[in-house]
Amino acid sequence: MLIELKGVHKTYNNGQPLHVLKGIDLNIEKGEFVSIMGASGSGKSTLLNILGILDNYDEGTYHLAGTLIKDLSERQAADYRNRMIGFVFQSFNLISFKTAVENVELPLYYQGVSRKERHAKAMEYLEKLGLTDWSHHFPNEMSGGQKQRVAIARALITQPQIILADEPTGALDSKTSVEVMQLLKRLNQEDGITIIVVTHESGVANETDKIIHIKDGIIGEIEENTRHTAWDGPMMK
Amino acid sequence: MKRFFDTDTFREILDSLLRNKSRSLLTGFGVFWGVFMLMLLTGGGQGLKDMLVQEFEGFAQNTCIIATSATTKPYKGFEKGRVWDLNYADVDRLKSMVPELETVSPTVSLWGKSVTRDENTSSRAVVKGARADYARIETPKMMYGRYINDADNLQERKVCVIGKRVYEELFPEGGSPLGKRISIDGSYYTVIGVDWKDSGGISINGSASDAVTIPINQARRAYNLGNTVHLVCFTAKEGITMSDITPRVREIVARYHYIDPTDEQALFLLNTQLIFGIVDNLFRGVNFLIWLIGLGTLLAGVIGVSNIMMVSVKERTTEIGIRRAIGATPKQILGQIISESIVLTLVAGMSAIVFSVLILYGVELAMTEDGILKAAFQVPFGTAVLAALLLAVLGVAAGLMPASRAMQIKPVDAMRDE
Repeated sequence: MLIELKGVHKTYNNGQPLHVLKGIDLNIEKGEFVSIMGASGSGKSTLLNILGILDNYDEGTYHLAGTLIKDLSERQAADYRNRMIGFVFQSFNLISFKTAVENVELPLYYQGVSRKERHAKAMEYLEKLGLTDWSHHFPNEMSGGQKQRVAIARALITQPQIILADEPTGALDSKTSVEVMQLLKRLNQEDGITIIVVTHESGVANETDKIIHIKDGIIGEIEENTRHTAWDGPMMK
Repeated sequence: MKRFFDTDTFREILDSLLRNKSRSLLTGFGVFWGVFMLMLLTGGGQGLKDMLVQEFEGFAQNTCIIATSATTKPYKGFEKGRVWDLNYADVDRLKSMVPELETVSPTVSLWGKSVTRDENTSSRAVVKGARADYARIETPKMMYGRYINDADNLQERKVCVIGKRVYEELFPEGGSPLGKRISIDGSYYTVIGVDWKDSGGISINGSASDAVTIPINQARRAYNLGNTVHLVCFTAKEGITMSDITPRVREIVARYHYIDPTDEQALFLLNTQLIFGIVDNLFRGVNFLIWLIGLGTLLAGVIGVSNIMMVSVKERTTEIGIRRAIGATPKQILGQIISESIVLTLVAGMSAIVFSVLILYGVELAMTEDGILKAAFQVPFGTAVLAALLLAVLGVAAGLMPASRAMQIKPVDAMRDE
């Protein structure tokens, strides 16, 4: 079991207490391609933040690859994030004054890998994602799809246990969305990387093998979707 | 663990600073200007002080000079307006009655004398009569030969020491004038020395370069001065404060000449120690102001850096959040922001030091005459080092607040801020 959540509660205390997660139980196996679906305010982003060790939870347990993730110091959290988790964001979150290859290198910089080594590795991943020609371009010189591919390369470079993608297609047109989802699918199938996609688009969720519905802070239906028939809209055709 | 200052860290810092060049430049300018002003003013103040001190060059710092003029107060039956002179007895009295005095030297001076060597060369000069011990009051800079000695005086030798300007006018061809004879008021004197002293603003009985000094006894005889002495100069012994003994000196001299001891015009005492004291105090005040203004400007600059870094951190919330999300520890973020602040402060400050040193060097070049530096305008090395250290400390201080703000940024903030 790669990810194991038991009775996870989370309450935000900004003025009025807001009980966002009300007892989440969730298991995700290694090599799964999962999406978490829910309307805005359902708690899916909070769940993603907890899965990504970006936020704490109040009750319950969260085991990531056998390690209990609870009450970590900032340093430990940073270290686990760096080594175990790759992030892909809706707005790409590339650093604008760094070139594509420098952006991809960054996680390795924080690991203390030498310049030469991380450059070579970053180029390797860019090549894998077909961005060799764009390696020395700045983010604002690239299209949305290219930016997201750079972000995926950055997420992959530390060879993490899981890739967490928060609305990875949210800022992309439908054609590019398809490309990005195909890419994630390929990474899952060819390299066996566990991928969790958070989305509110059925078309995106349909590309994954398992759809976890979350509503009002609790897990609703878990849909097996290995044949990708959950949704028959036009988007992913 | 990474070293603090490897090239990678430095690249990261430089990248961030160069990304917003104009802002970094403007921020750095505040610090630059503060340090620049501080250095320039310190150097300039130093130079001015040097120039002023040179005016007193060659004078014993604890010298006092007695000069006379007509009385301004009636005293013991004498009306005011009486003209009087010092005499040899005063010299002996002071020497024996005030044990704190080191040297007591009388001088006479005769103004506007014409000095000639032959028909073609002549010069206007002040003829001074002095004893050998006058050299301890106003130190001569002997270019050729020697100063008047005791034997010259005792034997009333017709010898003279000539000043720089007099030498240049009488001996335009240059070379040693020793043994040559010059004529003053029809009498011939053998040149025994050339005093190269270029007196500045302060001079007793006219500038040393305009003077022809002859033994005082010879002067008294040649000009029928009798016992009259024009000025009495004296120095106090080591460790004696001149102002402590001047009232007694005034007392003694006044009593024998029936002068009102409170008549400061009739008996004029010029205490150089007092003047040196004033100059010292003046520059202490000037220095204080310089540092006050300089440090104030510098502080304003540093607060500027801190402020801008604060804005920059706020602006970079997303960037910092991304860095945190992909594995930067809070410590690494702290290090980055403080390093940016230090680099910005140091680069701006160091260039200010270099720039002000260059400007002061230019001023020094302009002040140099015949390859001799008139006044040292340069920033003392110690001050520059101190300023550099101060900058490093201020750089850290300026970075502290923004850095702690940056540390509080959570990786989630990166996503939220979009």
